[in-house]
Amino acid sequence: MRWIYPLAPETEQGPDVLGGKAHGLVMLRRLRLPVPPGFVIGTEACRAFLRHRRFPDGLDDELAAAVAELEATTGRRLGGPERPLVVSVRSGGGVSMPGMMTTILNLGLTSGFAAAATDGEPIPDDAIGQLRRAVAAVFSSWNSPRATTYRELHGVPHDLGTAVTVQAMVFGNRDDQSGAGVAFSRNPNTGEPVPFGEVLFGRQGDEVVSGESLTRPLHELAEREPAVWAGLLDALRRVEEHHRDACCLEFTFEAGELWLLQARPGQLAAAAAVRTAVDLADEGMIGRHEALLRVSPRHLQLVRTPRIVGVEEADVLARGLGAVPGVAVGRVATTADRAVRMAADGPVILVRPATSPLDLRGLAAAAGVVTARGGPASHAAVVARAMGKPAVVGVAGLTVDVASARAGAHRVPEGARIAIDGTGGEVVLGTPRVATTAADPHLRRLLDWADEVSGDNGAGRDAAERLGAALTALAARHLFPERVMGTSSRTG
Amino acid sequence: MTRPDSAHATGADLLALHALRCIGFASLERVAAATGLPEPEVESELIDLAVAGLVTRVAGEFGGWGLTEAGRVADAERITEELERTGTGAVVAEAYDGFLALNPELLDLCAAWQLRSVDGVVTANDHADRAYDARVLDRLTDLDRRAEAACAGLFAEMLRFRRYRVRLGDAMARARSGALEYVSDSTASYHAVWFQLHEDLLATLGIPR
Repeated sequence: MRWIYPLAPETEQGPDVLGGKAHGLVMLRRLRLPVPPGFVIGTEACRAFLRHRRFPDGLDDELAAAVAELEATTGRRLGGPERPLVVSVRSGGGVSMPGMMTTILNLGLTSGFAAAATDGEPIPDDAIGQLRRAVAAVFSSWNSPRATTYRELHGVPHDLGTAVTVQAMVFGNRDDQSGAGVAFSRNPNTGEPVPFGEVLFGRQGDEVVSGESLTRPLHELAEREPAVWAGLLDALRRVEEHHRDACCLEFTFEAGELWLLQARPGQLAAAAAVRTAVDLADEGMIGRHEALLRVSPRHLQLVRTPRIVGVEEADVLARGLGAVPGVAVGRVATTADRAVRMAADGPVILVRPATSPLDLRGLAAAAGVVTARGGPASHAAVVARAMGKPAVVGVAGLTVDVASARAGAHRVPEGARIAIDGTGGEVVLGTPRVATTAADPHLRRLLDWADEVSGDNGAGRDAAERLGAALTALAARHLFPERVMGTSSRTG
Repeated sequence: MTRPDSAHATGADLLALHALRCIGFASLERVAAATGLPEPEVESELIDLAVAGLVTRVAGEFGGWGLTEAGRVADAERITEELERTGTGAVVAEAYDGFLALNPELLDLCAAWQLRSVDGVVTANDHADRAYDARVLDRLTDLDRRAEAACAGLFAEMLRFRRYRVRLGDAMARARSGALEYVSDSTASYHAVWFQLHEDLLATLGIPR
């Protein structure tokens, strides 16, 4: 085949051809981990399509052959009358561009394709015609204005194109032994070397990522689905050993069977990056020089940001996305009017479903803000950042009623004291301990190693400068080893 | 334009009332900027609206002119009545669809103006890298052009929405001339005006946020 590659251990192409997502899936297959069967259309086909506005010669035949093979592997038929083969059609370039391009799920279920057919052309009634249309839609989404803007801002060349991964769907909503989640090999906020993450029982993976449903802590899998839990721990360990770095896996389990859908780097916050680098060196996975290279001086500028520390899981009311770093402590106000009135008697935290311009004076009066909806690029986040207020957004399962907020089983009345951490996204009851990582023992050890390399005693220099001196010395000695995982997707 | 303008003009009282519905509590100066009316005229309208119990003026640091609950109800009724009487529902809905298609990209651009990812670490944009800032502004200029096209039908039929075109253009021009806060960080920034346009489209169509 010229354009299409199997998601199989023997596929040797790099992420420039397969895209980062499919390249990660091939790696999982090499580690003999469970990945739904499928194939990937390489970036060359996308480039040819964008150049000539049609599928390149041979792609149609290869697509038909790849589908036939997928049908043989799964024992199902795309568009078949009973228990048909249902596939996902996902974008994924060599450089991660999260959420910028088209993804089509449930192709092969009669209702699935309608969502992608927005250009008014008739929807083909044969399954392979629908798949062809979906692939063309994903190719074309490379040049959507939003994706173009993203590349412009992040210095990604415009001529790379996206790969398209076609995989048999697995269903986390199949039955009560099904579900989906995200698992980190180490806590991405603290670096604590224990698996961390979230799971949704009886739901599909896109509901975990969308942040619209209230997830459960990952470790609840241990009791409810011990076999899935054991498989997941094994996968986290093997992927981490392979990359010699923290990792993150998206997974689905269907009728008690575990499937891995994506492998990514560990997405570590600054303090977690420091701890993980030191721990990996202590565990003998990497050397001390490599540990220094795993941390950016920019991480060390961020470790001065205050964080909530030493909180028991039971005191965490909810988790969202940290949108504006910093800790704010205050009494809950659920409307802008109440926030303004209550702020006269001390700091308040504004808690809203989403923000509108009508909430802005409440935000101006508040010490920090929590919203149920939105991401790091939402009106709420943009405005909170402009005002310099710590913000947690996208808190799944948070509802705001008259004079109270509810997060899962917790009901928090207006006036209750909470604290929010705009780095890790935690919302905590009461007044927890707040500290920076500057005095952290892991950071002290990392900086000792840095001083050994730079031949400096560190006196009079801040942490970022001490690490920077060590990195300069290492570069001078030509000791930069090949990084195993690209750093570009860490921002994703 | 030389041809007679057939666009629907909203009365000054409803302009003032509806501005408060879309921008929240605000100073007289900001209400005037939002409506495009001179301050004395806006103040006169606001006083009449206050007498009717539809708006109120609150003192203090976070105060200003704002809607009462009765004002919110009255605004919804009058804006809906205007939409039905002028038959502009379709152009507003069309503009809203176009707006929603552009909104994620605008928010990406604002976030990129505020934050940068360097060495895989996200930190505040210190605006020291002129080339990076220029890339953001170029894409914002391009988006602004597409937004204008998406709302062209609306601007042609409803005068009150044209005010957003003027305010977005002002913010864009100021940002391009070096006033960095006019992208995302001031009350008259591109994002602030865009956010109000978002609220206005929702309020006009009666869609909850």
